[in-house]
Amino acid sequence: MTSNPLPASTCRTAGCTLTGALSVVTQVTDTVTVVHGPGGCTHHNFSLLSATALDNGRPALPPLVSTDLRETDIVFGGEEALDRTLTRVMNGNPGAIFVLSTCIVETIGDDIEKICQAQQGCPVIIVPTAGFLGGSFQAGVNNALIALAAMAESSAPNGRVNLIGEKNLEYEVEENYAEVSRLLSLLGLSVNLRFVRNITTDEIARLGAARLNVLRDPALIPVGEYLNSRFGTPYITGFPIGLSGNSSFLAEVAKTCGINGTDAVTRERAREGELLEKFHDLAGEGVFFSPLPPDPEGRIAARDLARNVGLRFSDQGNPVPVPVIPPVGLAGTERLLHRWRRAIFA
Amino acid sequence: MKQIALYGKGGIGKSTTSANLSAALSLAGHSVLQIGCDPKRDSTRMLMAGRLIPTVMDLVRERGASAVTPQDVVFTGFHGVRCVEAGGPEPGVGCAGRGIIATFQLLEKFGTLTGDIIVYDVLGDVVCGGFAMPMREGYAQEVYLVTSGELMSLYAANNICKAIQRLAARPKSRCRIAGVICNAKNMPREEELVAEFARRVNSHLIQYIPRDRTVQLAELDRKTVIEYDPASEQAQRYRDLAARVMENSRLTIPTPLEIDDLESLARQYV
Repeated sequence: MTSNPLPASTCRTAGCTLTGALSVVTQVTDTVTVVHGPGGCTHHNFSLLSATALDNGRPALPPLVSTDLRETDIVFGGEEALDRTLTRVMNGNPGAIFVLSTCIVETIGDDIEKICQAQQGCPVIIVPTAGFLGGSFQAGVNNALIALAAMAESSAPNGRVNLIGEKNLEYEVEENYAEVSRLLSLLGLSVNLRFVRNITTDEIARLGAARLNVLRDPALIPVGEYLNSRFGTPYITGFPIGLSGNSSFLAEVAKTCGINGTDAVTRERAREGELLEKFHDLAGEGVFFSPLPPDPEGRIAARDLARNVGLRFSDQGNPVPVPVIPPVGLAGTERLLHRWRRAIFA
Repeated sequence: MKQIALYGKGGIGKSTTSANLSAALSLAGHSVLQIGCDPKRDSTRMLMAGRLIPTVMDLVRERGASAVTPQDVVFTGFHGVRCVEAGGPEPGVGCAGRGIIATFQLLEKFGTLTGDIIVYDVLGDVVCGGFAMPMREGYAQEVYLVTSGELMSLYAANNICKAIQRLAARPKSRCRIAGVICNAKNMPREEELVAEFARRVNSHLIQYIPRDRTVQLAELDRKTVIEYDPASEQAQRYRDLAARVMENSRLTIPTPLEIDDLESLARQYV
């Protein structure tokens, strides 16, 4: 059980299991998601998802429907409410319907599978999301990705690369995508499928065609393993993190795909040096991290970066922010260094 | 106003005891409300001449809570005893515990929980917070355990002691054990065993009710024993129980037994 209430420990990607799963399934644009539970479970997620879409410059209302359970449904069972809602949603001819369970319907024991199996018209996919069963935001993401992957069939290999589990609720999701795409292109690789960001159900069919899956971070290893067992696709465990992340990412991708990446790695190392040079004015300045990020990987990356640019750690120094989610690649690192510079010379 | 709850193992005779107790209390001049807290809804049947009255939960399901009135759920039975059945879902779906909570909230809103005495007839065992509702703040403050000398019913009674002990620890709680009713199977030394069990859990045997054919005959006639054969010895037992319940002021926090102790206790009386 998480018991750290500090604001530093909170971020958009630390909500409940339902939020994690919704951050995935609502990115399949031709589908509708039914949240089987009280209205509030849907409402606060709807608000978060629409606000995030707005922040990321793509205003869109998430296709979410609640079965809106009331006390009588809890006492007598919510299966009728689910059946009614699914029938109504089915009339809109979606590409698929996702059914997400909530804590309360798992408590009262609704037979969700029976109700979903009885529906005809489009695929109805159940994603287990009752957080009280021990699930976290990440469990919701993983469960949703695995449930969606089950829709894909084996297809002919196309030599491209899947990005698995991008953090759709982070501000920098598109910038991070651009950075990873750029790195892949240095090795002559291109993106096959963003699984899952802004895709349709038809596009899921090519999930198994990729030669490599790049997981967004190591928490997605169960998804990587699942895809490996389904399609035989190898995976690497994360996006490039921190200053030297790009060169090591390139080396790992090249090795996994059997490509000679020496030139690309050499060029990227040179760019790392150039970046440090751009921020040489920070050398010798005293700083401390405020707030300290809870994620050890983020702390290590931030400390390494600070040392590399010559910052001194000092309680009397300037407080500099460290994002909860570590910066991706050189682009993310440069963004962070700009923030530090503003904080130090403000 | 007294508020009492009868708890005990399924099939031990809580509804029979409750209905006869309510009938006797009413004849003694008290204003009585009996609330059946079980989806089976058979608590008040003998007070209603065999009629299964509509339950609070059925009406809430059919009409919605806002369309239910006190007149829809409170029925007057034998000698003016007011009867309510909580009801609940079909077996195997939903949450009957939440149904009990919803019923209590509705009855409280109606102002129904009045009278000289309210008898809460609760289902077999305390399986979740919903079924502990009658024990919670402001509701039943006096819990009577109905048990025979059989080990399984003593197990259930002992479990309920655990629930009372737990709930009694809450700052606002007034829930206490008020006594043990022995609804006998007519085993040898049964009264002694149940009396000793009561003493060991820091309570007392308030009434011994022997097994009597009159109960079955009365039920076949869809009546309480009090109504069916008021002159019978069994009817007198229930009247005695009613008198003792009204007089009883010995409310304690129980001390449940360990299972091994309970079993060795039962073994002593075999």
